[in-house]
Amino acid sequence: MLKGSALHKSYGNQGAVLKGVDVEIAPGTITALLGSNGCGKSTLLRALALIEPIDSGTVTIDGTAYDASVDAGKGVPSPWPTVTVVFQQLFLWPHLRVRDNIALPQSQRDDPMAAGRFEELVQIFKLEELVDRYPNELSLGQRQRVALARAVAVRPTYLLLDEVTSALDVEQVTSLLAYLKTLRGEGLGILLITHLIGFARESADRVLFMSAGRVTEEGDASILSAPRTRELARFLAVLDPSEPVPNGVPAVCAS
Amino acid sequence: MRETLDILWTYRQEFRAGLLVTLQLCAYIWTIGIVGGTLLGVAAASWRRSIGTVSRAASYVLSGVPVLVLLFWLHYPLQMTFDFDLPPFYTAVAALSIINVIAVSEAVRRALEDFPRQFLSAARVCGIGPRQTVLRVQLPLVFRQVLPPVLFAQIATLQATLFASLISVDEVFRIAQRINSQVYRPVQIYSALAVLFLAVCLPMHAAATFLKARYTRDYSER
Repeated sequence: MLKGSALHKSYGNQGAVLKGVDVEIAPGTITALLGSNGCGKSTLLRALALIEPIDSGTVTIDGTAYDASVDAGKGVPSPWPTVTVVFQQLFLWPHLRVRDNIALPQSQRDDPMAAGRFEELVQIFKLEELVDRYPNELSLGQRQRVALARAVAVRPTYLLLDEVTSALDVEQVTSLLAYLKTLRGEGLGILLITHLIGFARESADRVLFMSAGRVTEEGDASILSAPRTRELARFLAVLDPSEPVPNGVPAVCAS
Repeated sequence: MRETLDILWTYRQEFRAGLLVTLQLCAYIWTIGIVGGTLLGVAAASWRRSIGTVSRAASYVLSGVPVLVLLFWLHYPLQMTFDFDLPPFYTAVAALSIINVIAVSEAVRRALEDFPRQFLSAARVCGIGPRQTVLRVQLPLVFRQVLPPVLFAQIATLQATLFASLISVDEVFRIAQRINSQVYRPVQIYSALAVLFLAVCLPMHAAATFLKARYTRDYSER
């Protein structure tokens, strides 16, 4: 289980971004994290991945507790790549070809199946024609696929995805959805930040909705059809105005 | 052109001797500049408030001091004030090395300070250890950013070695002046000098420009 407890984070001029967030990601599940821009989703993701020290709180990975307010690089055992991340900006290493972007992390692990895994991922993410190119020679959608392949190549237990569908076309989103379900079947715990409600509805076992630094609503995918809070209702109405807005909140308010 | 080549051939021994002194000057200045500048740049990026502030201040002050003034100041007032006698060759090495160290350190400091930390985060979450992250991710990227400005700085210091002739260092420009004073063929002699400098500087400049175009690119991709 990947668990964040009482996570607090403030930025100097922005005030509190995380206000005591508690979250759990179970292995073999997909959790969708929704919320407006600036509500703290990406900060929460980085906090759970232990790459951004926060003010206070604890992150527990499969029973090992990490003080999230200190640099996890000094922690033993290392939380990575048990937990790994695909960043919104991807951060593929620009001096390495696609092949090496995927193979470099693999080479750090004693994985006799690494070569086979590489070939498998190249096929899954349709990278056959791209492996000898540099990241700046790829489109955004292609780079997103490479970043996903790089993250999955190290066989994480928990995979945190920050808006990885933003530049994918419908076909690619569909195939990503299928692949995420495969990974879930292999026991991976996935946290997915997305603005695609349909994608969340199709893929997520659990949905978390964040507003102003707090998880204000959570449940299974049915909360996307029947939100209990006004915040989520408004959020859904903005993303999809055709959705009915319950509790008497007119859609026009949301926009 | 033929006369220029004739001059070069006729006085080849003298030009060779002068060029050798110029190259010796460069060997010292380039080595001190690259090694010292790299160390200072890393220190300035690591300790921004202390060494970084001093380094930036030194760079700012030096940018307002002409090379010739620094050279003459080291050659005359400094040695008179502190009553020591440094051979002109080493005075030139000292003056130009100071300039080169600062130029290289600024390039290194900027590349390190501007380095997007997220590339390191990406390496961390992929399970790449700190040592491999530095060797495989940070150093190659920083090196690519640093190489072109450092090469341009070396070309500039090579050209600045001409000033050493003014404090009696027998480098190639002083040799050319001496030959000219004997035969008075300024067009041919200084053209010959230009050919020598072009032969060394142009390939370096082309390499720096190529590396800059190829490697110094926007990290944010597209």
